[in-house]
Amino acid sequence: MTAPLLQARNLSVDLFTVRSALRPVDDVSYSVGQGETLAIVGESGSGKTVLNFAPIGLMPTGVVTDLHGSLRFEDIELVGLPAARMRRIRGGRIGTIFQDPMSALNPALRIGRQIAEVAELHLGMTSVQAEARALDLLKLVRMSDPESRLRQYPHELSGGLRQRAMIAIAVAAEPKLLIADEPTTALDVTVQAQIIALLKDLQKRLDTAIVLITHDMGVVASIASKVAVMYAGRIVEYGSVDQVLLEPRHPYSTGLIAALPRPEDKAGTLFRGLPGAPPIMGAPQPGCPFAPRCPLVVDYCTDVRPPLAPAPTGSAAACHVVNDVPHREMAHA
Amino acid sequence: MGTLIAIRLRNAAALLVLATLLCFTLVVSAPGNVAVLIAELRTPKATFEQVRAVETELGLNDPLVVRYGNWLGGALQGDLGVSYKTGDHIGPTLGSRLPVTFTLVAGGACFAMLLSFALGFVGALWPGRFGDAFTRITALLGASMPSFFVGALLIYFFAVKLRLFPTFGSAGFSSWILPWITIGLLPAAVLSRVVRVGLEEAMAMPFALTAAAKGLSRRASLFRHALPNIAPTYINALGAQSGLMVVGAVVVEPLFALKGVSDFFLQGVLFRDFMVVQACLLIFLTFFIIVNLIADIGIMFTDPKLRRQGGAGT
Ligand SMILES: Nc1ncnc2c1ncn2[C@@H]1O[C@H](COP(=O)(O)OP(=O)(O)OP(=O)(O)O)[C@@H](O)[C@H]1O
Ligand SMILES: [Mg+2]
Repeated sequence: MTAPLLQARNLSVDLFTVRSALRPVDDVSYSVGQGETLAIVGESGSGKTVLNFAPIGLMPTGVVTDLHGSLRFEDIELVGLPAARMRRIRGGRIGTIFQDPMSALNPALRIGRQIAEVAELHLGMTSVQAEARALDLLKLVRMSDPESRLRQYPHELSGGLRQRAMIAIAVAAEPKLLIADEPTTALDVTVQAQIIALLKDLQKRLDTAIVLITHDMGVVASIASKVAVMYAGRIVEYGSVDQVLLEPRHPYSTGLIAALPRPEDKAGTLFRGLPGAPPIMGAPQPGCPFAPRCPLVVDYCTDVRPPLAPAPTGSAAACHVVNDVPHREMAHA
Repeated sequence: MGTLIAIRLRNAAALLVLATLLCFTLVVSAPGNVAVLIAELRTPKATFEQVRAVETELGLNDPLVVRYGNWLGGALQGDLGVSYKTGDHIGPTLGSRLPVTFTLVAGGACFAMLLSFALGFVGALWPGRFGDAFTRITALLGASMPSFFVGALLIYFFAVKLRLFPTFGSAGFSSWILPWITIGLLPAAVLSRVVRVGLEEAMAMPFALTAAAKGLSRRASLFRHALPNIAPTYINALGAQSGLMVVGAVVVEPLFALKGVSDFFLQGVLFRDFMVVQACLLIFLTFFIIVNLIADIGIMFTDPKLRRQGGAGT
């Protein structure tokens, strides 16, 4: 078996701003193979964005991050990689799609220019070649009337078209890995499905791996091959889509999936939320961060951190109780 | 966009008419009997009849509307009346003085643009570093030092001490350098803050993160992505500052013995020569209006949201 395209080992991120210092990503490990799709799900604030963008140096200005552990992409260790080398990877072999295509595109530049720029930078094209490439890319992302779109500005496009333009930027240099942070959250429901279909199509054509951050389990089921469930900066469950969606093991994922609306629900059924609120992130905690909300909690959960243990069958779950049946029996005895 | 420009042109024309009314009112309501002044200018001890003759000659007894019409008609042909003090025609004098003020203000504006971009970019490229602090302080000093003081300092160091430039007069390009710096320093200081703050704001926008995600360096992001976004704000501020430079010229022209319009204006004020004041004011107001018109159109060309309004243009 060849090495995976992207592999995180015990990756942690400390984040410092003028006002705060916290660890939004705490000791996570995962991997993504070539052409594979990993979905990352979890509540708001669980660290999904920081996990994916901090290591490639894409945090907003005013935020300083400190990385520990390892994140290998192809043969390159991204943790501690000098900024200049990281720049050559960003936009080249790693493409990025953001949540809100309106603010992510530059309002003062034409769409064509914003796409062509990537081809100039990473493919060494002249501006004429790059314009031609931008046109091809607009066709690739199935934009209607691509010639005139090239000359338009972001405010002249609808949300769905903007996200297509953003995707064209992300795949302009034929990246090996595409990181998409909630690419459909800001869009209409009908457009969401089109964008996901487009991503799947592009993935097949370009053999790109995708890391997809999402809240939408429907999206997970339709595109992902693997799922990582994040809670308070940790991956609490990790496995194939079938395993995690159909037979979730961690009590948090179990609750998350049970909370989904189902077709058999009658109209007006109360939303089945998880009781309690996610913890406020600060200093790393010793035990399981989910313990205060957990229906299965036992006394040592708050003291001993549960490792993300691979199970002989099913997904890996970071939970003492589900991993350690004898303990559970002891606790119940 | 064509319609937007048409609207701007119409507004500018309306403003010009207002400006002429203002200038006309100034002279009409000025204290003192003009006819007496002029008659005494011609013959020291003017008789009543001589004053009367001057009144009819200048049309001072006509209704106001007729007087306004006559004055406006003359002004359009370059006849701006006669100086109370010297009795000379103002039109030709202004004609010879206009290029001086124009050179001063245009050169000052160019200097202000160059310096403001240099200062603003140094700060934005290395935020929080020495260069940033240095440009901030330069801007603060530039904005708070009165221009007569700046001018005097420059003359002392560069002309008197180092003998690099002439102290005054117009002897080609080199004689313009100190006046340009003196008049351009304040606008440069203000505009450098516009550049610095605008770039910083643009770099905090999500599209700057996209630029980073494309693999662009900070410098490339600043030039290619942040700069186009500050263009409308910058042009707006540049327009306002260029208009104000005419006021700066009132100080700078006498300081460097430049015989420009602002110097003429100052003399007019000192000698209560209302015809001169009126003519200069008319020039200033026209200048303000034209500069603002150009700035408005410039903003339209740099702001994509405005550019596409009205359907016309690509
Ligand atoms: N720019 C920032 N400044 C300060 N704190 C931040 C910043 N970005 C993230 N954080 C903190 O890091 C933690 C993780 O945030 P992150 O954005 O990764 O969550 P997320 O899982 O992507 O949430 P969402 O689903 O809302 O996008 C949060 O506690 C958040 O407060
Ligand atoms: Mg996020």
